[in-house]
Amino acid sequence: MKVLKFGAVWCPGCLLMRPLWDEIEEEMPWLETEYLDVDENPALVKKYELDTFPAFIFLNKSGEEATRLIGEVKKEKIIETIEANRDK
Amino acid sequence: MSNKLKTLLATLLLLAVVLTGWGTARAEDDPVSVNLFYGRGCPHCAKEIEFLGELEMENPDLEVRYFEIYFNESNAKLFQLAGQKLGIDVSAVPMTVVGNESISGFGGAETTGKKIEDAIDNCRQEGCKDNIGAILAGEEVNIETADSAEQSSAESDANDEESIPEEIDLPLFGTIKTKDFSIPVLTILIAGVDGFNPCAMWVLIFLITLLLGLKDRRKMWILGIVFLAASAGVYYIFMAAWLNIFLFVGAIFWVRLAVAAVALVGGIYSIRSFYVNRDSGCKVTNTEQRKKLTDRFREVLNRRSLWWAAIGLVGLAFLVNLIELLCSAGLPAIYTNILSMSALPASHYYWYLLLYCLIFLADDIIIFALAMVTLKVTGVSTKYGRWASLIGGVIMLLIAVMLLFFPELLMFG
Repeated sequence: MKVLKFGAVWCPGCLLMRPLWDEIEEEMPWLETEYLDVDENPALVKKYELDTFPAFIFLNKSGEEATRLIGEVKKEKIIETIEANRDK
Repeated sequence: MSNKLKTLLATLLLLAVVLTGWGTARAEDDPVSVNLFYGRGCPHCAKEIEFLGELEMENPDLEVRYFEIYFNESNAKLFQLAGQKLGIDVSAVPMTVVGNESISGFGGAETTGKKIEDAIDNCRQEGCKDNIGAILAGEEVNIETADSAEQSSAESDANDEESIPEEIDLPLFGTIKTKDFSIPVLTILIAGVDGFNPCAMWVLIFLITLLLGLKDRRKMWILGIVFLAASAGVYYIFMAAWLNIFLFVGAIFWVRLAVAAVALVGGIYSIRSFYVNRDSGCKVTNTEQRKKLTDRFREVLNRRSLWWAAIGLVGLAFLVNLIELLCSAGLPAIYTNILSMSALPASHYYWYLLLYCLIFLADDIIIFALAMVTLKVTGVSTKYGRWASLIGGVIMLLIAVMLLFFPELLMFG
Protein backbone atom coordinates (compact mmCIF):
# COMPACT_ATOMS: atom_id res chain seq x y z
CA MET A 1 0.00 0.00 0.00
CA LYS A 2 0.95 3.63 -0.41
CA VAL A 3 -0.10 6.78 1.44
CA LEU A 4 -0.33 10.15 -0.30
CA LYS A 5 0.16 12.93 2.27
CA PHE A 6 -1.30 16.23 1.09
CA GLY A 7 -0.24 19.32 2.97
CA ALA A 8 0.85 22.93 2.69
CA VAL A 9 3.64 24.97 4.24
CA TRP A 10 1.13 27.59 5.36
CA CYS A 11 -1.21 25.15 7.07
CA PRO A 12 -0.61 24.81 10.84
CA GLY A 13 -2.39 21.43 11.02
CA CYS A 14 -0.14 20.03 8.27
CA LEU A 15 2.95 21.13 10.19
CA LEU A 16 1.68 19.43 13.32
CA MET A 17 1.17 16.17 11.45
CA ARG A 18 4.73 16.06 10.06
CA PRO A 19 6.56 14.73 13.17
CA LEU A 20 3.75 12.23 13.70
CA TRP A 21 4.30 10.77 10.25
CA ASP A 22 8.08 10.77 10.78
CA GLU A 23 7.53 8.49 13.80
CA ILE A 24 5.14 6.19 11.91
CA GLU A 25 7.49 5.88 8.94
CA GLU A 26 10.32 5.00 11.29
CA GLU A 27 8.19 2.37 13.03
CA MET A 28 6.91 0.94 9.69
CA PRO A 29 9.85 1.01 7.27
CA TRP A 30 7.90 -1.05 4.75
CA LEU A 31 5.28 1.67 4.36
CA GLU A 32 5.51 3.67 1.16
CA THR A 33 4.52 7.35 1.53
CA GLU A 34 4.71 10.45 -0.64
CA TYR A 35 4.33 14.08 0.46
CA LEU A 36 2.48 16.35 -1.98
CA ASP A 37 2.32 20.13 -1.56
CA VAL A 38 -1.20 21.27 -2.42
CA ASP A 39 0.06 24.45 -4.12
CA GLU A 40 2.41 22.52 -6.36
CA ASN A 41 0.01 19.68 -7.20
CA PRO A 42 -3.33 21.28 -8.04
CA ALA A 43 -4.19 18.51 -10.53
CA LEU A 44 -3.95 15.80 -7.86
CA VAL A 45 -5.88 17.96 -5.41
CA LYS A 46 -8.62 18.21 -8.03
CA LYS A 47 -8.45 14.51 -8.88
CA TYR A 48 -9.05 13.50 -5.27
CA GLU A 49 -11.54 16.34 -4.74
CA LEU A 50 -9.74 17.71 -1.70
CA ASP A 51 -10.63 21.02 -0.04
CA THR A 52 -9.40 20.46 3.51
CA PHE A 53 -5.84 19.74 4.62
CA PRO A 54 -3.90 17.84 5.79
CA ALA A 55 -5.37 14.96 3.81
CA PHE A 56 -4.08 11.39 3.69
CA ILE A 57 -5.11 9.12 0.82
CA PHE A 58 -4.48 5.40 1.35
CA LEU A 59 -3.95 3.60 -1.97
CA ASN A 60 -4.33 -0.14 -2.45
CA LYS A 61 -1.93 -2.36 -4.37
CA SER A 62 -3.52 -1.41 -7.70
CA GLY A 63 -3.09 2.33 -6.92
CA GLU A 64 -6.75 3.00 -6.26
CA GLU A 65 -8.01 4.86 -3.22
CA ALA A 66 -8.85 2.47 -0.40
CA THR A 67 -9.72 5.09 2.23
CA ARG A 68 -8.79 8.58 3.39
CA LEU A 69 -8.21 10.56 6.57
CA ILE A 70 -8.75 14.32 6.67
CA GLY A 71 -7.54 16.93 9.16
CA GLU A 72 -5.47 16.50 12.29
CA VAL A 73 -5.64 12.82 13.13
CA LYS A 74 -4.27 10.92 16.13
CA LYS A 75 -1.32 8.59 15.59
CA GLU A 76 -3.34 5.56 16.81
CA LYS A 77 -6.03 6.25 14.23
CA ILE A 78 -3.45 6.40 11.42
CA ILE A 79 -1.80 3.13 12.51
CA GLU A 80 -5.19 1.49 12.80
CA THR A 81 -6.06 2.61 9.24
CA ILE A 82 -2.71 1.36 7.90
CA GLU A 83 -3.16 -2.04 9.55
CA ALA A 84 -6.71 -2.38 8.25
CA ASN A 85 -5.65 -1.63 4.67
CA ARG A 86 -2.21 -3.24 4.67
CA ASP A 87 -3.16 -6.27 2.58
CA LYS A 88 -5.59 -4.58 0.22
CA MET B 1 -35.53 110.63 59.78
CA SER B 2 -36.36 112.91 56.91
CA ASN B 3 -38.44 111.76 53.99
CA LYS B 4 -35.47 112.17 51.69
CA LEU B 5 -33.34 109.92 53.87
CA LYS B 6 -36.17 107.32 54.08
CA THR B 7 -36.50 107.39 50.31
CA LEU B 8 -32.74 106.99 49.91
CA LEU B 9 -32.61 104.04 52.34
CA ALA B 10 -35.57 102.38 50.66
CA THR B 11 -33.92 102.83 47.27
CA LEU B 12 -30.63 101.42 48.53
CA LEU B 13 -32.45 98.47 50.12
CA LEU B 14 -34.31 97.81 46.91
CA LEU B 15 -31.09 98.11 44.95
CA ALA B 16 -29.34 95.71 47.32
CA VAL B 17 -32.15 93.18 46.92
CA VAL B 18 -32.04 93.55 43.18
CA LEU B 19 -28.26 93.25 42.98
CA THR B 20 -27.81 90.39 45.38
CA GLY B 21 -30.92 88.32 44.98
CA TRP B 22 -32.75 89.17 41.81
CA GLY B 23 -31.97 86.68 39.09
CA THR B 24 -29.65 84.54 41.15
CA ALA B 25 -32.06 83.01 43.61
CA ARG B 26 -35.50 81.75 42.88
CA ALA B 27 -38.46 83.00 44.85
CA GLU B 28 -40.42 80.46 46.88
CA ASP B 29 -43.14 80.14 44.26
CA ASP B 30 -40.83 80.08 41.25
CA PRO B 31 -40.47 76.68 39.61
CA VAL B 32 -37.20 74.78 40.05
CA SER B 33 -35.64 74.17 36.66
CA VAL B 34 -34.20 70.75 35.96
CA ASN B 35 -32.27 70.50 32.70
CA LEU B 36 -31.59 67.13 31.17
CA PHE B 37 -29.12 66.66 28.32
CA TYR B 38 -29.73 63.26 26.77
CA GLY B 39 -29.25 61.19 23.64
CA ARG B 40 -31.92 59.28 21.75
CA GLY B 41 -31.12 55.57 21.92
CA CYS B 42 -29.14 55.88 25.16
CA PRO B 43 -30.75 53.49 27.68
CA HIS B 44 -29.59 55.37 30.80
CA CYS B 45 -31.13 58.51 29.34
CA ALA B 46 -34.42 56.69 28.75
CA LYS B 47 -34.47 55.60 32.39
CA GLU B 48 -33.83 59.11 33.61
CA ILE B 49 -36.53 60.57 31.34
CA GLU B 50 -38.99 58.13 32.89
CA PHE B 51 -37.77 59.06 36.38
CA LEU B 52 -38.00 62.81 35.73
CA GLY B 53 -41.47 62.40 34.21
CA GLU B 54 -42.72 60.81 37.42
CA LEU B 55 -40.92 63.42 39.53
CA GLU B 56 -42.53 66.22 37.56
CA MET B 57 -45.97 64.69 38.09
CA GLU B 58 -45.41 64.51 41.85
CA ASN B 59 -43.84 67.99 42.12
CA PRO B 60 -45.80 70.72 40.38
CA ASP B 61 -43.06 73.26 41.18
CA LEU B 62 -40.65 71.46 38.87
CA GLU B 63 -39.96 72.57 35.35
CA VAL B 64 -38.04 69.91 33.45
CA ARG B 65 -36.36 70.83 30.18
CA TYR B 66 -35.19 68.07 27.86
CA PHE B 67 -32.33 68.65 25.43
CA GLU B 68 -31.69 65.86 22.92
CA ILE B 69 -28.08 66.25 21.74
CA TYR B 70 -27.45 63.37 19.26
CA PHE B 71 -29.82 64.59 16.58
CA ASN B 72 -30.51 68.19 17.58
CA GLU B 73 -27.60 70.38 16.60
CA SER B 74 -28.65 73.47 18.54
CA ASN B 75 -29.07 71.39 21.70
CA ALA B 76 -25.63 69.87 21.13
CA LYS B 77 -24.20 73.38 20.85
CA LEU B 78 -26.01 74.41 24.04
CA PHE B 79 -24.47 71.39 25.78
CA GLN B 80 -21.01 72.43 24.64
CA LEU B 81 -21.65 76.00 25.71
CA ALA B 82 -22.89 74.84 29.11
CA GLY B 83 -19.70 72.81 29.37
CA GLN B 84 -17.58 75.89 28.72
CA LYS B 85 -19.55 78.28 30.91
CA LEU B 86 -20.36 76.00 33.80
CA GLY B 87 -17.39 73.67 33.73
CA ILE B 88 -19.61 70.65 33.12
CA ASP B 89 -18.09 67.45 31.75
CA VAL B 90 -19.77 67.15 28.34
CA SER B 91 -18.20 63.82 27.37
CA ALA B 92 -21.26 61.76 28.22
CA VAL B 93 -25.02 61.82 28.66
CA PRO B 94 -27.33 61.83 30.53
CA MET B 95 -26.26 65.03 32.23
CA THR B 96 -28.63 66.76 34.61
CA VAL B 97 -28.18 70.39 35.62
CA VAL B 98 -30.11 71.74 38.59
CA GLY B 99 -28.98 75.21 39.61
CA ASN B 100 -25.26 74.95 40.27
CA GLU B 101 -25.34 71.17 40.49
CA SER B 102 -24.50 68.98 37.53
CA ILE B 103 -25.12 65.27 37.84
CA SER B 104 -23.55 62.91 35.36
CA GLY B 105 -25.07 59.55 34.39
CA PHE B 106 -28.13 57.80 35.77
CA GLY B 107 -27.84 54.61 37.78
CA GLY B 108 -31.39 54.47 39.17
CA ALA B 109 -33.95 56.23 41.35
CA GLU B 110 -32.19 55.15 44.54
CA THR B 111 -28.75 56.42 43.57
CA THR B 112 -28.54 59.18 40.95
CA GLY B 113 -32.25 59.90 41.30
CA LYS B 114 -31.70 60.64 45.01
CA LYS B 115 -28.93 63.09 44.11
CA ILE B 116 -31.20 64.89 41.66
CA GLU B 117 -33.92 65.15 44.33
CA ASP B 118 -31.36 66.48 46.85
CA ALA B 119 -30.25 69.11 44.34
CA ILE B 120 -33.90 70.13 43.82
CA ASP B 121 -34.46 70.35 47.61
CA ASN B 122 -31.31 72.42 47.90
CA CYS B 123 -32.67 74.78 45.27
CA ARG B 124 -35.98 75.06 47.09
CA GLN B 125 -34.34 75.86 50.41
CA GLU B 126 -31.40 78.05 49.45
CA GLY B 127 -32.43 79.26 46.06
CA CYS B 128 -30.45 78.82 42.89
CA LYS B 129 -29.99 80.33 39.51
CA ASP B 130 -31.28 78.60 36.43
CA ASN B 131 -27.94 78.65 34.63
CA ILE B 132 -29.14 76.84 31.52
CA GLY B 133 -32.12 79.19 31.31
CA ALA B 134 -29.68 82.09 31.61
CA ILE B 135 -27.51 80.74 28.79
CA LEU B 136 -30.62 80.23 26.66
CA ALA B 137 -31.65 83.83 27.36
CA GLY B 138 -28.19 84.99 26.33
CA GLU B 139 -27.31 86.20 29.83
CA GLU B 140 -23.78 86.18 31.20
CA VAL B 141 -23.22 83.34 33.61
CA ASN B 142 -21.23 84.18 36.73
CA ILE B 143 -17.78 82.63 36.51
CA GLU B 144 -18.04 81.54 40.17
CA THR B 145 -20.87 79.27 39.10
CA ALA B 146 -18.47 77.40 36.89
CA ASP B 147 -16.19 76.51 39.76
CA SER B 148 -19.00 75.43 42.01
CA ALA B 149 -20.63 73.42 39.25
CA GLU B 150 -17.37 71.68 38.52
CA GLN B 151 -16.87 70.89 42.16
CA SER B 152 -20.42 69.67 42.45
CA SER B 153 -19.96 67.49 39.41
CA ALA B 154 -16.75 66.05 40.82
CA GLU B 155 -18.42 65.36 44.13
CA SER B 156 -21.29 63.79 42.29
CA ASP B 157 -18.89 61.52 40.42
CA ALA B 158 -17.20 60.56 43.65
CA ASN B 159 -20.56 59.79 45.20
CA ASP B 160 -21.50 57.79 42.13
CA GLU B 161 -18.46 55.64 42.56
CA GLU B 162 -19.33 55.08 46.18
CA SER B 163 -22.90 54.19 45.32
CA ILE B 164 -21.85 51.39 42.94
CA PRO B 165 -20.16 48.95 45.26
CA GLU B 166 -20.90 46.03 42.97
CA GLU B 167 -18.25 43.58 44.01
CA ILE B 168 -17.75 39.93 43.33
CA ASP B 169 -15.86 37.40 45.41
CA LEU B 170 -13.68 35.08 43.38
CA PRO B 171 -11.91 32.10 45.00
CA LEU B 172 -8.39 33.02 43.88
CA PHE B 173 -8.66 36.70 43.13
CA GLY B 174 -10.60 37.78 46.24
CA THR B 175 -13.03 40.70 46.08
CA ILE B 176 -13.08 42.46 42.75
CA LYS B 177 -15.00 45.57 41.75
CA THR B 178 -16.94 44.57 38.68
CA LYS B 179 -16.99 48.17 37.43
CA ASP B 180 -13.19 48.29 37.22
CA PHE B 181 -12.88 44.72 36.04
CA SER B 182 -15.34 44.47 33.19
CA ILE B 183 -13.55 46.14 30.26
CA PRO B 184 -10.14 44.47 30.77
CA VAL B 185 -11.82 41.06 31.06
CA LEU B 186 -13.94 41.70 28.00
CA THR B 187 -10.84 42.89 26.12
CA ILE B 188 -8.82 39.80 27.05
CA LEU B 189 -11.73 37.47 26.27
CA ILE B 190 -12.59 38.88 22.84
CA ALA B 191 -8.96 39.48 21.80
CA GLY B 192 -8.02 35.96 22.96
CA VAL B 193 -10.74 34.40 20.84
CA ASP B 194 -9.90 36.71 17.92
CA GLY B 195 -6.23 35.69 18.22
CA PHE B 196 -7.08 32.12 17.27
CA ASN B 197 -8.82 33.40 14.17
CA PRO B 198 -7.03 31.48 11.40
CA CYS B 199 -7.46 34.28 8.82
CA ALA B 200 -3.91 35.60 8.95
CA MET B 201 -2.21 32.69 10.71
CA TRP B 202 -1.21 31.00 7.46
CA VAL B 203 0.89 34.04 6.51
CA LEU B 204 2.90 33.86 9.72
CA ILE B 205 3.51 30.12 9.30
CA PHE B 206 4.61 30.65 5.71
CA LEU B 207 6.87 33.54 6.72
CA ILE B 208 8.51 31.46 9.47
CA THR B 209 9.16 28.68 6.95
CA LEU B 210 10.89 31.17 4.67
CA LEU B 211 12.78 32.80 7.57
CA LEU B 212 14.15 29.44 8.72
CA GLY B 213 15.60 29.03 5.24
CA LEU B 214 17.68 32.21 5.67
CA LYS B 215 20.09 30.50 8.10
CA ASP B 216 20.90 33.91 9.61
CA ARG B 217 19.50 34.13 13.11
CA ARG B 218 19.89 37.90 13.49
CA LYS B 219 18.09 38.52 10.22
CA MET B 220 15.40 35.97 11.11
CA TRP B 221 14.65 37.66 14.44
CA ILE B 222 14.68 41.19 13.03
CA LEU B 223 12.44 40.43 10.05
CA GLY B 224 10.03 38.32 12.12
CA ILE B 225 9.69 41.01 14.78
CA VAL B 226 9.24 43.68 12.12
CA PHE B 227 6.41 41.67 10.55
CA LEU B 228 4.68 41.04 13.90
CA ALA B 229 5.06 44.68 15.01
CA ALA B 230 3.76 45.93 11.65
CA SER B 231 0.81 43.51 11.81
CA ALA B 232 -0.02 44.75 15.33
CA GLY B 233 0.29 48.35 14.13
CA VAL B 234 -1.99 47.78 11.16
CA TYR B 235 -4.56 45.97 13.32
CA TYR B 236 -4.37 48.83 15.83
CA ILE B 237 -5.00 51.39 13.09
CA PHE B 238 -7.99 49.42 11.78
CA MET B 239 -9.45 49.14 15.28
CA ALA B 240 -8.83 52.82 16.02
CA ALA B 241 -10.67 53.63 12.79
CA TRP B 242 -13.63 51.48 13.87
CA LEU B 243 -13.61 53.11 17.30
CA ASN B 244 -13.55 56.62 15.90
CA ILE B 245 -16.40 55.86 13.54
CA PHE B 246 -18.49 54.63 16.48
CA LEU B 247 -17.45 57.55 18.69
CA PHE B 248 -18.28 59.95 15.87
CA VAL B 249 -21.74 58.58 15.11
CA GLY B 250 -22.45 58.19 18.84
CA ALA B 251 -24.99 55.90 20.43
CA ILE B 252 -27.39 56.03 17.49
CA PHE B 253 -29.93 53.28 17.69
CA TRP B 254 -29.53 52.01 14.12
CA VAL B 255 -25.74 51.75 14.51
CA ARG B 256 -26.25 49.59 17.57
CA LEU B 257 -28.79 47.59 15.57
CA ALA B 258 -26.31 47.14 12.71
CA VAL B 259 -23.54 45.98 15.06
CA ALA B 260 -26.01 43.62 16.74
CA ALA B 261 -26.84 42.20 13.30
CA VAL B 262 -23.12 41.68 12.56
CA ALA B 263 -22.72 39.95 15.94
CA LEU B 264 -25.76 37.77 15.27
CA VAL B 265 -24.66 36.70 11.78
CA GLY B 266 -21.03 36.29 12.90
CA GLY B 267 -22.10 34.25 15.92
CA ILE B 268 -24.26 31.91 13.86
CA TYR B 269 -21.50 31.54 11.23
CA SER B 270 -18.85 30.76 13.87
CA ILE B 271 -21.01 28.17 15.63
CA ARG B 272 -21.87 26.63 12.26
CA SER B 273 -18.13 26.48 11.41
CA PHE B 274 -17.51 24.56 14.62
CA TYR B 275 -20.01 21.88 13.62
CA VAL B 276 -19.22 21.80 9.89
CA ASN B 277 -15.41 21.77 10.13
CA ARG B 278 -15.16 18.67 12.30
CA ASP B 279 -11.93 17.62 10.58
CA SER B 280 -10.15 20.66 12.06
CA GLY B 281 -8.30 21.15 8.82
CA CYS B 282 -7.13 24.08 6.73
CA LYS B 283 -9.61 25.05 4.04
CA VAL B 284 -8.26 25.95 0.64
CA THR B 285 -9.64 29.31 -0.46
CA ASN B 286 -8.38 32.13 -2.70
CA THR B 287 -5.60 30.02 -4.23
CA GLU B 288 -4.64 32.70 -6.76
CA GLN B 289 -4.45 35.42 -4.16
CA ARG B 290 -2.41 33.26 -1.81
CA LYS B 291 0.04 32.41 -4.58
CA LYS B 292 0.54 36.11 -5.35
CA LEU B 293 1.18 36.85 -1.70
CA THR B 294 3.59 33.97 -1.17
CA ASP B 295 5.55 35.05 -4.29
CA ARG B 296 5.77 38.59 -2.87
CA PHE B 297 7.06 37.24 0.45
CA ARG B 298 9.74 35.21 -1.34
CA GLU B 299 10.75 38.26 -3.35
CA VAL B 300 10.95 40.51 -0.27
CA LEU B 301 13.00 38.03 1.79
CA ASN B 302 15.42 37.54 -1.09
CA ARG B 303 16.39 41.22 -0.97
CA ARG B 304 20.04 41.60 -0.06
CA SER B 305 19.51 44.67 2.09
CA LEU B 306 18.04 43.87 5.47
CA TRP B 307 16.34 47.24 5.71
CA TRP B 308 14.74 47.00 2.27
CA ALA B 309 13.46 43.56 3.24
CA ALA B 310 12.09 45.01 6.51
CA ILE B 311 10.33 47.82 4.64
CA GLY B 312 8.89 45.29 2.21
CA LEU B 313 7.58 43.22 5.11
CA VAL B 314 5.85 46.25 6.63
CA GLY B 315 4.08 46.76 3.32
CA LEU B 316 3.11 43.10 3.14
CA ALA B 317 1.82 43.16 6.73
CA PHE B 318 -0.46 46.03 5.72
CA LEU B 319 -1.57 44.20 2.57
CA VAL B 320 -2.26 40.89 4.33
CA ASN B 321 -4.28 42.53 7.10
CA LEU B 322 -6.20 44.54 4.51
CA ILE B 323 -7.03 41.42 2.51
CA GLU B 324 -8.03 39.50 5.63
CA LEU B 325 -9.96 42.48 7.03
CA LEU B 326 -13.36 41.12 6.07
CA CYS B 327 -12.50 37.70 7.45
CA SER B 328 -11.52 39.08 10.84
CA ALA B 329 -13.59 42.26 11.06
CA GLY B 330 -16.46 40.85 13.12
CA LEU B 331 -14.96 40.74 16.60
CA PRO B 332 -12.92 43.98 16.34
CA ALA B 333 -16.00 45.87 15.11
CA ILE B 334 -18.16 44.48 17.91
CA TYR B 335 -15.48 45.17 20.52
CA THR B 336 -14.85 48.76 19.41
CA ASN B 337 -18.60 49.41 19.39
CA ILE B 338 -18.85 48.23 23.01
CA LEU B 339 -15.81 50.33 23.89
CA SER B 340 -17.37 53.42 22.30
CA MET B 341 -20.51 52.93 24.41
CA SER B 342 -18.46 53.18 27.61
CA ALA B 343 -17.76 56.54 29.17
CA LEU B 344 -13.98 56.55 29.41
CA PRO B 345 -11.29 59.21 29.30
CA ALA B 346 -10.07 59.48 25.69
CA SER B 347 -6.64 57.97 26.37
CA HIS B 348 -8.17 54.85 27.97
CA TYR B 349 -9.85 53.86 24.70
CA TYR B 350 -6.47 53.65 23.03
CA TRP B 351 -4.82 51.80 25.90
CA TYR B 352 -7.55 49.18 25.64
CA LEU B 353 -6.96 48.91 21.88
CA LEU B 354 -3.27 48.35 22.60
CA LEU B 355 -4.12 45.64 25.13
CA TYR B 356 -6.43 44.03 22.56
CA CYS B 357 -3.70 43.98 19.90
CA LEU B 358 -1.15 42.50 22.31
CA ILE B 359 -3.50 39.70 23.38
CA PHE B 360 -4.51 39.17 19.76
CA LEU B 361 -0.87 38.68 18.75
CA ALA B 362 0.14 36.60 21.80
CA ASP B 363 -0.22 33.22 20.04
CA ASP B 364 1.64 34.52 16.97
CA ILE B 365 4.50 35.79 19.16
CA ILE B 366 4.74 32.41 20.94
CA ILE B 367 4.77 30.47 17.64
CA PHE B 368 7.41 32.80 16.20
CA ALA B 369 9.65 32.73 19.29
CA LEU B 370 9.43 28.92 19.52
CA ALA B 371 10.36 28.57 15.86
CA MET B 372 13.30 30.93 16.21
CA VAL B 373 14.64 29.14 19.29
CA THR B 374 14.10 25.55 18.11
CA LEU B 375 14.61 26.31 14.39
CA LYS B 376 11.55 24.22 13.70
CA VAL B 377 8.27 25.58 12.46
CA THR B 378 5.21 24.38 14.27
CA GLY B 379 1.60 25.44 14.27
CA VAL B 380 -1.11 25.83 16.80
CA SER B 381 -3.54 22.99 16.33
CA THR B 382 -6.52 23.99 14.24
CA LYS B 383 -8.57 22.19 16.89
CA TYR B 384 -7.99 25.21 19.16
CA GLY B 385 -9.16 27.43 16.34
CA ARG B 386 -12.29 25.31 16.03
CA TRP B 387 -13.07 25.66 19.75
CA ALA B 388 -12.23 29.37 19.63
CA SER B 389 -14.77 29.57 16.82
CA LEU B 390 -17.44 28.05 19.08
CA ILE B 391 -16.58 30.27 22.06
CA GLY B 392 -16.39 33.33 19.80
CA GLY B 393 -19.76 32.42 18.28
CA VAL B 394 -21.43 32.13 21.68
CA ILE B 395 -19.87 35.43 22.83
CA MET B 396 -21.08 37.15 19.65
CA LEU B 397 -24.62 35.84 20.12
CA LEU B 398 -24.64 36.99 23.77
CA ILE B 399 -23.37 40.42 22.74
CA ALA B 400 -26.02 40.61 20.00
CA VAL B 401 -28.77 39.92 22.55
CA MET B 402 -27.31 42.48 24.97
CA LEU B 403 -26.93 45.13 22.26
CA LEU B 404 -30.55 44.63 21.26
CA PHE B 405 -32.25 44.29 24.61
CA PHE B 406 -29.88 45.22 27.46
CA PRO B 407 -27.32 47.68 26.03
CA GLU B 408 -26.76 49.21 29.48
CA LEU B 409 -24.99 45.97 30.47
CA LEU B 410 -22.30 46.79 27.93
CA MET B 411 -21.78 50.38 29.08
CA PHE B 412 -18.85 50.53 31.43
CA GLY B 413 -17.16 53.34 33.25
